[in-house]
Amino acid sequence: MSAAVHLPHPSSAPPAGADREPIFHVRGLARVYGAGTAAVTALRGVDFDFFRGELVVLLGASGSGKSTLLNQLGGLDSPTHGTLLYRGWNLGTTDESGLTQFRRDAVGFVFQAYNLIPSLTARENVALITEICRDPMAPEDALELVGLGPRMDHFPAQLSGGEQQRVAIARAIAKRPDVLLCDEPTGALDVHTGITVLEAIERINRDLGTLAVIITHNAILADMADRVFTLSDGRIVNARTNARRGSVRELAW
Amino acid sequence: MSLLDRKLLRDLIALKSQALAVALVMACGLAMMVTTRSLILSLESTRDTYYREHRFADVFARLKRAPNAVREQLAAIPGVATVQTSIAIQVTLDVPGLPEPAVGLLNSLPERGEPVLNRPHVRAGRLPLGRTTRGELAVGEAFAEAHGLKPGGAISAILNGTKQNFRLSGIVLSPEFVFEAPPGAALPDNKTYGVFWMPYKELATAFQLYGAFNNVAITLAPGASEGEVIAAVNRLLAPYGARGAYGRVNHPSHRRVDDEIRVLQGLSLAFPLVFLSVAAFMTNSVMSRQIALQREQIAMLKACGFSNRQVGAHYFKFSFAIVIVGVLFGAIGGVYLGHQLVEMYHLFFRFPQLDFVLDARVLVAAAAVSALAAFTGVAGAVRRAVHLPPAEAMRPEAPASFRPALLERIGGARWFSASFRMALRNIERRPIRSGLTCLALALATGILIVPNSFRDGIAYVIDFQWDIVQRQTVTLTLVEPGPSRAIADFRHLPGVELAEPFRFVPVELRAGPISRRLTLQGLPERGTLSRVIDAEPRQLTLPARGIVISSKLADILHVRPGDEVIAKVLEGRERELAVPVIGLAEDFAGMAAYMELHALNRLLLEGDRISGAHLVVNASRWGDFLHAVKQTPRAAGCVIKNSIRDGFRKTTGQSIGLLQKMYLLFAIIVAFGIIYNSARISLSERMRELATLRVLGFSRGEVGAVLVGELVLLTVAALPLGLVIGAGFAQGIIASVNTETVRLPLVLTADNYAFAILVVACASALSAWFAARKLADINLVSALKALD
Repeated sequence: MSAAVHLPHPSSAPPAGADREPIFHVRGLARVYGAGTAAVTALRGVDFDFFRGELVVLLGASGSGKSTLLNQLGGLDSPTHGTLLYRGWNLGTTDESGLTQFRRDAVGFVFQAYNLIPSLTARENVALITEICRDPMAPEDALELVGLGPRMDHFPAQLSGGEQQRVAIARAIAKRPDVLLCDEPTGALDVHTGITVLEAIERINRDLGTLAVIITHNAILADMADRVFTLSDGRIVNARTNARRGSVRELAW
Repeated sequence: MSLLDRKLLRDLIALKSQALAVALVMACGLAMMVTTRSLILSLESTRDTYYREHRFADVFARLKRAPNAVREQLAAIPGVATVQTSIAIQVTLDVPGLPEPAVGLLNSLPERGEPVLNRPHVRAGRLPLGRTTRGELAVGEAFAEAHGLKPGGAISAILNGTKQNFRLSGIVLSPEFVFEAPPGAALPDNKTYGVFWMPYKELATAFQLYGAFNNVAITLAPGASEGEVIAAVNRLLAPYGARGAYGRVNHPSHRRVDDEIRVLQGLSLAFPLVFLSVAAFMTNSVMSRQIALQREQIAMLKACGFSNRQVGAHYFKFSFAIVIVGVLFGAIGGVYLGHQLVEMYHLFFRFPQLDFVLDARVLVAAAAVSALAAFTGVAGAVRRAVHLPPAEAMRPEAPASFRPALLERIGGARWFSASFRMALRNIERRPIRSGLTCLALALATGILIVPNSFRDGIAYVIDFQWDIVQRQTVTLTLVEPGPSRAIADFRHLPGVELAEPFRFVPVELRAGPISRRLTLQGLPERGTLSRVIDAEPRQLTLPARGIVISSKLADILHVRPGDEVIAKVLEGRERELAVPVIGLAEDFAGMAAYMELHALNRLLLEGDRISGAHLVVNASRWGDFLHAVKQTPRAAGCVIKNSIRDGFRKTTGQSIGLLQKMYLLFAIIVAFGIIYNSARISLSERMRELATLRVLGFSRGEVGAVLVGELVLLTVAALPLGLVIGAGFAQGIIASVNTETVRLPLVLTADNYAFAILVVACASALSAWFAARKLADINLVSALKALD
């Protein structure tokens, strides 16, 4: 990692609402793949600020640019144009090892396909991450938070889809990340299991003040968010703030 | 080209480095097979042609002296086709530029015409033929090359006490001296031993042998029994001081070529088998992975109506393409190595022309064997692919199930990091693949042990033979055994500090039906110069009764200390005596038997006689000593220990050096190939897992460690196993090399082990690094994508 990288620690940030310094400050963000006539523009300049304690849902159809945006926020890809600041730190100009450090310390990922290591138990999957980051919570505590305490010594192949996704959430939050990025977290789950997973995300967001960003094509999830952004053709076409966040159980499934 | 074949070609290009790794390992096995089988063919065909064209005899006999009239009686023996009698005598030579005297074996050429048997092959100049030719010698090529002698050059020899100057008429080869070395020598020493041909009349006159002969060569009539002819020859020549006739199998030169062919035969099977097995395993891994990756393609092909046979053939073709590349490299490598080894044979064997002849049949056989190995390797994977119902193949494979590894179950769990556990569990989940990877690495380690155990064995032999057994500076032999007072003459030579006599006598030792001819050495009871040493090694004292023999000879005769052997004296008065074996001596060249000098003389009934003496000479008077020896008429031979030792070291050094390079290359290829392939397969199988780790914040190095952790563990397990396997290889090969003419002890040193470990560890590390570089290509975003 580059020696210049000193990440601000979430615990040093003020509580939700009081903090008006954004976690992400994005202006004119664009991403073009390829060049010349073969160039494909995935993002055409988006602007927003995301704050601590917020739960944001990014809605959009396939190809709308929501995954590209998530990749930018997660430090998996760099923008072609525009500003992408994480707590004032320009991710757009950060090198490979700096981005690795950013992901390691600041971001928790939840994948649609869970992406657990099949050769490790639930507890070990979480411990794998807590071994490499500073000031993590105990893997057991992280698993308790998602309600998997009793099954923490099972291997992925012995867990249901919903349980695997909750392990993935526990893995994501055990490092006490600033940001929880969830890519279609319920995409592979039935409604009932999806609810338990979303409840876990909601609880983390509420109790730990973690910024949670969920991308989905399922518009129903919009009601559980503080703010909802709808993307289409690489642009934000609609942004709204919910007056009141609905609980997951209240969503119109 | 069908579209399926075009797919094959593109798949191959995508997998080129892995396919190449497999092909190279296969090529190692094939190269070895091609080299060894072709060398066998080269040696056998060259030897047979040479023997036939130069009429190499079938039966040989040496005697003291028999009148020429006996030749007719020999020719009359039933079964004898041709007889050639001649004189062969060992003399001291004075070679220009060589400070020490050399030993020359002078052979007579017939008075009329050319030799009918064992015909010399003239390389340059001509043979000194004809009744009137005088003062000319033809010299054997090995000796001539060692001294840079050319036709027209000069050389001096002491013939029966008189120094004579000769002009070299030509340079020749002889089927009798393909291996041009003194009898019993492990390796040729062409500086100090040479073979010569000169006219009969001149040689015979010099030794008062005119009208007589002391050497016989015979060819057999078709269908004749060699045993019966030998018995008849022995009966006929007994009154003439015969030393016993023998057939080709006991001919020292022929035997060495035979031994070499036998060693090659062993090598041509064992090692290629090892390499081809490893290649088969690697083909299997690559193909299994390829088929797993192409599950959906297979399903699609079958859904679209391709038959099982077509799908199966498609994947078999894939592995056969690897075989073709392997065979090509193997053939090129084999021919190259073969040429190198043929060069090496020129150090030992002298043929008019020894060319590398590619054994084309072996190439076909090798291709077939490799194809079979590849076929065996992929058959299982292809069968699974073919039997996959299309609907099932369309679905992704079920997630792998794991459980805690054995080491964790027995209580080690809390000591291990998560990535170490991943490695352990991955190994345990695929026990066969892990086991075979480990075994292949162990084989690579083992291969390296072999040439260095040769090197260490030879170093041991050199020390043993020339520091422990022989501690003299020089050994002088008399033209004829003489009275023991001759030792006093030796003591008076300039610079001689110590002289110990010896008596050499040719004998046949027999136990039951088995017998061997050798030189029985009479030595002082507990000599300080030429000593009799056992396996311990500790010096044996020769008692007044009984015989000490080489342990190899004891094995051959099936006798142990305490048993009796029959000793038949083959010189002078023929006698047969039963003598008890009282000890076993350790030696590494030829076979020997020892008795106390006086006890031997009593047995021979010839009074106190000696054949020569071992001497310690003061280095400051070395020049004087050599000068005096060259002038000493009665000294027929002068063997300088250090020059023999240096020659031995040089010759063995060259051949071992070549073997070391060869085995080093093979071991590196196997270690590199197996690790590279395993890492690439692992990378392919765990791409998603590794990409996830990168997304979660693992650095490239940390992910690399997770990728190769498993291989590191397997390598660590393989290294000690490899040392054990290597020791086994070395033992097996040394046992096969151990013949009656040459033996090597099994010497395994820490250096040898350390080198093998170092090479395999470095090759593995480098290879893992190469494979891990592919981690840079990992697509992080791919981890976010859903499986279906």
